[in-house]
Amino acid sequence: MTSLDTLTARQIAAGIAAGDFTATEVAHAALDAISARDASTQAFLQVSENLALEAAAKTDAARAAGESLPPLAGVPVAFKDNMNLLGTRTTCASRMLETYESAYTATCVQRMLDAGATPLGKLNMDEFAFGSTTDSSAFHPTNNPWDITRVPGGSSGGSAAAVASGQVTLALGSDTGGSIRQPASLCGVVGMKPSYGAVSRYGVVAFGSSLDQAGPLGRSVEDVALAMNALTAGGRDRLDATSQNCAQDHLAHLEDPIEGRAVGIIPALLEAEGLASEVRTAILDAADKLASAGAHIVEVDLPNMASSIAAYYVLAPCEAFSNLARFDGVRYGYQEPRCTTLAEQSSLSRAHGFGPEAKRRQMLGAYLLSSGVYEKYYLAAQKVRTLITADYQRAFAQVDAILMPASPTVAWEHGAISDPAALYLADVFTISNNIAGNCGISVPVCLGADSGLPIGAQLQGPAFADAQLLTFARALERACHMEGIVAPAFAGKGGELA
Amino acid sequence: MRKLSEVLHDWEAVIGLEVHTELTTLETKMFCGCRLSHDDPPNTNVCPICLGMPGALPVPNRKAIEYIVMAGIATNCEVMRRSMFYRKHYFYPDMAKNFQTTQGPVAFVMHGHLDLEIAGDGAKERPDGTIEKAIDGSYVAPIRILRIHMEEDAAKMVHVGGAEGRIGGASESLIDYNRCGTPLIELVTEPDLRTPEEARRFMEKLRQTFLTLGISDCSLEKGSMRCDGNVSLRRRGESGLGTKTELKNLNSFKSLHDALAYEICRQAEVLEAGGTVLQETRHWEPSRKRTVVMRVKETNDDYRFFPDPDLAPFDLSDEFIERCRARVPELPDTKRDRYVATWGLKRSDAAKLAGDPAVARRFEDASHGVKPQAVPMLANVMLNLVPAYKALTLLQITSITELLAADALSFSQARKVLEAVDGTGKMPLAVARDWGMLQSNDTEALAAVVDEVLGRCEAQVQQYRDGNKKVVGFLVGQCMKASKGAGNPKVFNQLLVQKLEG
Repeated sequence: MTSLDTLTARQIAAGIAAGDFTATEVAHAALDAISARDASTQAFLQVSENLALEAAAKTDAARAAGESLPPLAGVPVAFKDNMNLLGTRTTCASRMLETYESAYTATCVQRMLDAGATPLGKLNMDEFAFGSTTDSSAFHPTNNPWDITRVPGGSSGGSAAAVASGQVTLALGSDTGGSIRQPASLCGVVGMKPSYGAVSRYGVVAFGSSLDQAGPLGRSVEDVALAMNALTAGGRDRLDATSQNCAQDHLAHLEDPIEGRAVGIIPALLEAEGLASEVRTAILDAADKLASAGAHIVEVDLPNMASSIAAYYVLAPCEAFSNLARFDGVRYGYQEPRCTTLAEQSSLSRAHGFGPEAKRRQMLGAYLLSSGVYEKYYLAAQKVRTLITADYQRAFAQVDAILMPASPTVAWEHGAISDPAALYLADVFTISNNIAGNCGISVPVCLGADSGLPIGAQLQGPAFADAQLLTFARALERACHMEGIVAPAFAGKGGELA
Repeated sequence: MRKLSEVLHDWEAVIGLEVHTELTTLETKMFCGCRLSHDDPPNTNVCPICLGMPGALPVPNRKAIEYIVMAGIATNCEVMRRSMFYRKHYFYPDMAKNFQTTQGPVAFVMHGHLDLEIAGDGAKERPDGTIEKAIDGSYVAPIRILRIHMEEDAAKMVHVGGAEGRIGGASESLIDYNRCGTPLIELVTEPDLRTPEEARRFMEKLRQTFLTLGISDCSLEKGSMRCDGNVSLRRRGESGLGTKTELKNLNSFKSLHDALAYEICRQAEVLEAGGTVLQETRHWEPSRKRTVVMRVKETNDDYRFFPDPDLAPFDLSDEFIERCRARVPELPDTKRDRYVATWGLKRSDAAKLAGDPAVARRFEDASHGVKPQAVPMLANVMLNLVPAYKALTLLQITSITELLAADALSFSQARKVLEAVDGTGKMPLAVARDWGMLQSNDTEALAAVVDEVLGRCEAQVQQYRDGNKKVVGFLVGQCMKASKGAGNPKVFNQLLVQKLEG
């Protein structure tokens, strides 16, 4: 008896190719794990059993016909619910889109399917990706598999929780200000935010178009690298004018030594107020481990990083206001019944379709873009963006990667932080990366000395050095022995391959 | 209200135009691959992108950017090296995303000009001394162009059950998204126009230019070319600007002229009575020949403009700009000058031919089929005969031209012949011969007719001898009648004079 918990993506694809088990058996095992585990994690918004079994049957038929199988053949994967997949609803965890059926399939989702993955369903998130707890989902919160009284982080909390609890091998999330890396850190999985433009945004419901990037979460760097291969295969997406050709083999240099390479740390950042001491210790320990692997640890500075939160909470709400303007109840989505005028219909549909955080961000954006205000804030924020990008360029002239936390603390209890501004400040380690368009990854390094909960170390790399960043992530992973771990409360519950 | 010419004697009108042109000759929409066609059944040329479905992203139509750069080059604009798209927000279902993708402070092309030549009665509308130079009694008005920017058109809405098709009071509103996302260029002039005639000429010239470029079918009637006018008055000699009104529904050249003329006279009346002109948008009612208030503009709408993050800034390369420049064909003014220089056409005839690219092309094709000295007659035929018929062939046109140039047919005979050959492929020469129409230059035969006429018109012969030389015209007419139109009137004239003087 083999459990899906113990298999990497590569082992699943290889097992199917070798005839050890079929893709259909893998799909059933994943469905079994979901039914055994998701009652307590509540990571899924929809389980796409039919799509999963159809895809698995196709994989099995291809094998039976003697065709060579694609790299993610039969690998169970699920998608954040802001990604369109034909045959599923795309709700963005909002009443506004509660019944919205995807009209097409997002490029990143399609590329995972083209790589042979089996789609298990759609995952919970903060409403329209506004948040870092997944508690703002209009439907239900998601629980952290390491302690179900705690948040999984967010906004891709469903993606992190589904992977950490072993319900799927890989998941896709999206990251506008840390929404892949922070939940990965809180749930003890690997989560990568690729460089802006590396993965097509077509079909991922937009939050902040200049910041959004879809990326993979998995239980090992290797699984994430395999997903990166799938996501970038085929090169630039001609449906996304901001996408770039980043097709390459992200596995080719994964095991390369990092001896003699330079990794930056920012000492001032590790003294930041609100940084938990167990997290600080974990990051310093991670630096030691990289040093033991032969890397030079170099102190660098990002002097304008302190302004990144202010800049982000101008730029992101402005773009969100604009991107969410289309949800007006006219063509699709929630439509307020019994309205007598057009203005009433769109304003009431929006008033009752959106939750409080979605409204807060849109109102902020509407204010910040109004004439007279725009010049003062939006243009100032764009200047800060230029400064932060220049800071990174100077730093990356010295080092290949920068090491820092992904979250100032381990996972906190549901409802423990209710002040939105306090939640915004917790994004301090992740958002400058989105502002600059660089790549970043969170790798689990240990369980916290005080809390016993997972802590991730974040590595950031220059734009379009995604493969190189994975090499550093793999080096850290080798030294930490945290790969492939399913949260203990869930390991072995269902998910057996017959 | 006073007459326009009187009003313009006391007041100077300051007019600016905003002209929207759909790039109808493109195959696809501005930001998606949907087919450009407004004639298809409603909501058939749509996709997730132009319907603003969640997650869809725009991809710019490169050909549309070529077209706007060509339009800029043809109107003497500067091509901006870097420009970008902005989002303009307003909540209305005709814009699926609730924002329109348009351009910001920097447009693809900016700071150009078109020189207008105003002749005839139009010149009388401008009594001031701003006329730069006069050619043949006409004057040249240089009109600056502020910018031409690129944007996407909105969907078409039909309001059912309300008054005058407006949304107020309508029981339901239907939306056809086929038009949504159609590439649209908006040209904004500086307020350099001074008379309704200049505004009309500007629109005509712009239309001729865009037709020549082949970037649009430029139909004012169908709305693929639309124009709004801004007009204000100031006392002659003053330099400040008065309060302007914006005029809508100017969907023909006549409407543009008449609405501006009406509005100038209306504003003058208000000002002369001691009133003030309100800044408002006014709707032209062609049937009642007046403008009525649509809405008063008290505040500027806040469209929350910001750069579209889905579309990177455009950096146009020299190579791209030169490729666009090479695609700009010979423009109407250059063509006109060439016609005058090559064939000695009248400047006004040459301008008319050059103004319509389809006519110009036919004219030039036909010019190869006639003798060089017959080309001015060909111009005459193209302008005054050809438009009246459905389907004349090139050979029919050259044949009738040669007959007219050789004085073998009169214009009225030519019309009858063309009517008979139109759409048949029959040759005019053959038909005219069959009908015995060919005007004879046979002096001997015609002399007999002249003798017969002189014999029975003694009174007129006497009048001529008494000094009334004009009477020869009557005698030519009698000869034409006697010959059933077959004689050449010029030859009759010569023979008559010879005999009368002799």
